[in-house]
Parts: sequence; C-alpha cells; structure tokens
Amino acid sequence: MIVALFEKEDDLRHALRRLRAENIGPIETYTPAPVEGESEQSVIPLIILVAGLLGAAASFGLQTYSSTVAYPFLIGNRPDFSWPPFIVTAFENAVLIALIAGIVSFLLVSRLPLLYAPVDEATAMRRASSDGWVLTVQGREAATLDRARRLLHRLDAASIEEVPE
Amino acid sequence: MSGADLSMPAVVAPGETVASMTRRVSDVPLDPRRSWVWWWVTLAISTSMLGLGTIGILWAFYVGIRAWGNSWPVMWGFPILAYVWWIAIASGGTFISAFFFLVRVEWRTSINRMAETMTLFAAACAGIYPILHLGRPWFAYWLFPYPNVMTLWPQWKSPLLWDFMALFTYVVCSILFWYFGLMPDLATMRDRARSRFAQILYGFFALGFRGSGTQWRHLKATYAVLAAIMAPLVVSVHSVVGLDFAGAATPGWHSTEYPPFFVFGALWSGLSTVVLLLLAFRRPLGLAPLITDRHIRVLAKLMLTSSLCMTYAYIMDAFEPFYSGEATERIQYLARITGAYAPVYWSMIACNCLIPLILCFGWARRSHFAVGLVAVGSIVGMWLERFNIVEITLRRPHLPSSWGTYVPTLWDWVIFVGTLGLFLTGLLLAIRLVPMISMYEMRELLHGKGQA
Repeated sequence: MIVALFEKEDDLRHALRRLRAENIGPIETYTPAPVEGESEQSVIPLIILVAGLLGAAASFGLQTYSSTVAYPFLIGNRPDFSWPPFIVTAFENAVLIALIAGIVSFLLVSRLPLLYAPVDEATAMRRASSDGWVLTVQGREAATLDRARRLLHRLDAASIEEVPE
Repeated sequence: MSGADLSMPAVVAPGETVASMTRRVSDVPLDPRRSWVWWWVTLAISTSMLGLGTIGILWAFYVGIRAWGNSWPVMWGFPILAYVWWIAIASGGTFISAFFFLVRVEWRTSINRMAETMTLFAAACAGIYPILHLGRPWFAYWLFPYPNVMTLWPQWKSPLLWDFMALFTYVVCSILFWYFGLMPDLATMRDRARSRFAQILYGFFALGFRGSGTQWRHLKATYAVLAAIMAPLVVSVHSVVGLDFAGAATPGWHSTEYPPFFVFGALWSGLSTVVLLLLAFRRPLGLAPLITDRHIRVLAKLMLTSSLCMTYAYIMDAFEPFYSGEATERIQYLARITGAYAPVYWSMIACNCLIPLILCFGWARRSHFAVGLVAVGSIVGMWLERFNIVEITLRRPHLPSSWGTYVPTLWDWVIFVGTLGLFLTGLLLAIRLVPMISMYEMRELLHGKGQA
C-alpha cells in the first residue's frame, strides 16, 4: 500500500480527484478533520431514529403491562391505563436507547475497536491526527502502484512511503 | 446592547494555526516540562474536601439520616437542596454543548469540552444525593423495574420515579456524549504522546480511531444526531426535577411554573459555572488565545438573558400565591419574604436578579472581574434559591400544627463540602488527562477562517 502525506487539505483533495479520474484505487484518507466535499451520507441517523422509537414503544408497553396486567393498583379511582404519566419515562428510556444505539452502530460501521492496522507502520500516520493529510492507495498490481506513486510525486506529496498490506 | 459590541474580538487569536492549536491543546496533558505547582496545591485542597465528605457519608451510613437536619416538616433538607443545585449546574454544560452545536455558532467550539467535563462531575455530585437521601441506600436498585420475588413494580405515575429515570439517563448519556466527541482527540493524543504508557493509555481509549474517510463520515453524522437528542434531554431532565416539586400538593410547590422555572435556573447557574471555569483555567492552561474575550462576552449576554428569565419566574412565584386565593399559599409566601429566613430570599433576589443587571452595560461584559463576580453571585444565588424552595417553603404546610423550622447540622455541611471536593478533584484530574478543547472541531473552524 502506498501512503502519501500532504501538508494541505486542498492538495489532498486535488490528489483525490486526480486518482479517482485515473481510476486508481481503492483509496482511503486519514485526516485530522473531516475532508470537505466528501460524501456525508450515513445510515446511523436512521438507526438512531428506529432505536429511539422502538425504545419508546417498549418502555410504554412495559408500563402499560405492569399497571394493567402484572400489578394493577387502585389509586384515587383512576383507571389502570392512565397513560399520560407514562410518557415521561418512555421519553427518557427512548433517549437512552437511541444514544447507546447510535454509538454502538458507529463502532460497528467504522469497524472499531481496531487497535492495530497495517497502515500504522507508515511514519506519515503520526501526523494524520494533528496537521498532516494522508492518502493511501491499495492494490496488488505493481503497475498500478507504480502509476499511483508517479502521480502522487507529480502532485507534490510531502512524503511517499510504501508499507506491506 | 451598546454599540461598542459591534467590534467583537475574534474567537481565535490571530496567528493561531492548526498546528499551533493542536500543540497548544495537546501539550497541556503531554508536555512533561510544564509546571503544575498551582495544580498540586488545588488538588491538595480538593482531595481534603473530598476526604472530609467521605467521612461525612460514612457517618451518615453508620447513624442513618438522623445525622442531618432533616425533620418534620422539612424532610427534604440538604440532600435534595444540593441535588437540585448540582444537577442545575450540570445542565448548563450540556446546554452550551448541544444547543449551540445545533445552531452552529463558532464560539461554541473552544468551550464545549470544558462545559461537558464540568457537566460530568456536577452530575456525579448530583447523583450521590438522592441515593444517600433514600436512607437505606443499599436498596437503591429497587427503583429499577426488574423482575423480583415480591412481584412489585415501580410507581410509574410518580415524579420521583421519573426523576430517577431522567437522572440515570442523563448521567449515562452525558458520559457517552462526552466520550464520543473525545474519541478523535484521544487519537491525536495517542499519536503525539512520547511515553509508552501514555501511548497505550490514549491508544486504548481512542479505540483505533484513525480519521479515515469512513470514520469521519459516520462520526459527523452521529455526533449531530446525538447533539439533537441531548438538547431535549437536558430540558426534560430539569423539567422532571421541577415536577418532583410541582407533583406534590404542597403549598409553594404545586405550580405549573416549576418545570420552566427550574430550566431557567439550570441555564443561569450552569452558564455561570462554565464562565467561572473558563476565567479560572484559560491562562494557567495556556489556552487564552483559543478562549478569548469574545467567549466571555457572549456568555455574559447569555447570563443576562437567563437572569432576566429568572426575574420573570420570581415575579410569577410572587403572583401565584395571591392569585390562587389559597390562604396557605399566601401564608407560606409571606413567611418566606418576611420570616426568619427572609434574608435568604432577599439575598437570592439580589444575586439572581439585581446584580446581573450590570451586564446590561458593555463595560461590565468586557470586564472579566465583573463577569466573574456576577457568575459567583449566580452560583451562590442559586444555592440560596434551592434553600428557599426546599427548606423554607416546607416550613409552612397546610396544617398550622405541623409548622416547624429547619436548621442544617454540621454533617449536612460536611457532605456538601465533600461534593465540592469531588467536583474539583474530578475536574483537576480531567485537565491533566484530557485535551480541554475539542481539537478536531477547532481544526474545522480554523480551516473555515483560512487560518490553517
């Protein structure tokens, strides 16, 4: 895998465009902040919504079950299924479940925890979380990697390394 | 607002770049040459307070609730006072972090980590009290709806159960939200740490976050939705705390005003605590170029706004006893403003309504001393307000034969000092371990300003 380091985000974006135009890849970026203009689509907001709704329904259902079937208790002649007070607990439970679902699904989708990956061998990665903009090109064919290396060289990468995948 | 404010200082000092910002923030925990004398001195004080509080709690476990001043008719005493006070302070941090993320204001970026960290430890202090106040804290788990041999269920219609649900949710969510936003910064710390121990510690907690395209894409989307969930959560939590009071048919408490009144109070004391922490820590931590006069001025305006909301709430608080036509309501209100504890009421009005009015003037918002003074006043004022609501109101129940009074004992104070110690100790430890400014969000901000 080829690991190229860029000093500026604009240079990285430029390199990304060129590599994609030449159909070289797969490409991955490692950057200190989200790269502007890249896809922002994610399935997680939907997961959070579904988890929240299910959590609210489950909590409301539990309260209904416990106060009508499992443990009906007569207070001031109110009906067993006097549901407005259930909303508060249902809301709190929904928030808790939605938030946990969001974080767990983030970890699953991003394949974390992953304490070691081959790309960590590149010295450029030490700057990828501070002020360096890193781009990697994977590939088995020597010819493709060679083309990528030459192209990255022309694009003024600050450093180009090769690490085993 | 005075015209002078049009020339607001920048949110970041000129000349600050992504590299210098990252160094400035991550060096606070990492640089071994930094002098920490002030830190050790403060830590010594705060751990002594924490130790004292621990003794107080152990004593309360040993002799039971009689260690405190709680007695009929004032059964709620110091524990509930301090609980409400702490949870209000905690809410302010989440409010700054979540609401102002959603409205995309640029000054939120360099103070949200400090605000969230403050929230964590204030919520921890709050969480201790209801459990202590149970009297038999080892049965705290009875509040959970769990299958048990007695086939009993919690009382879903009780505000006290809602309070447990809200507090539990709030504490867990605050920790997770804080940690989630911290993950990219822990990765930075891992890559910048020089000692092996620090590399492993930060590496473990960063979970292998590398800033890959996939990770950023999902992190951004998730964080935005989590912020959108945290914002209504924090309002619900303090509303539920208000319902703890309003739900009881107790004179002085039984009012629809309580939930919003409590949310105003939470904002007011929470914002003030954040301001105080920023004023106290920005210079010792070398973060003054990132936490500028702009932040203090913006927060001062928010403080003024929330103080005016408080004033409105106090006016309604005074109006309702007379409008309701209930003799008991009138009696307890008059007892509050003219009785033995009247100085508490009037000091509260001074701290929460009158002194903050100086923030109407531009010179006061520009003066760190004035803003800090108002902030201290707010924290004291909110404590007095809780005393006023919990203690003084309860002295006058419906039956005149039950009238009584309340005097806190030494142990009440000892435990309260202990929670102050816990708050400070936690905060001081966090400063040494965690970057106090969200670096990845600052990078986006600096990039947007062309200061990369």
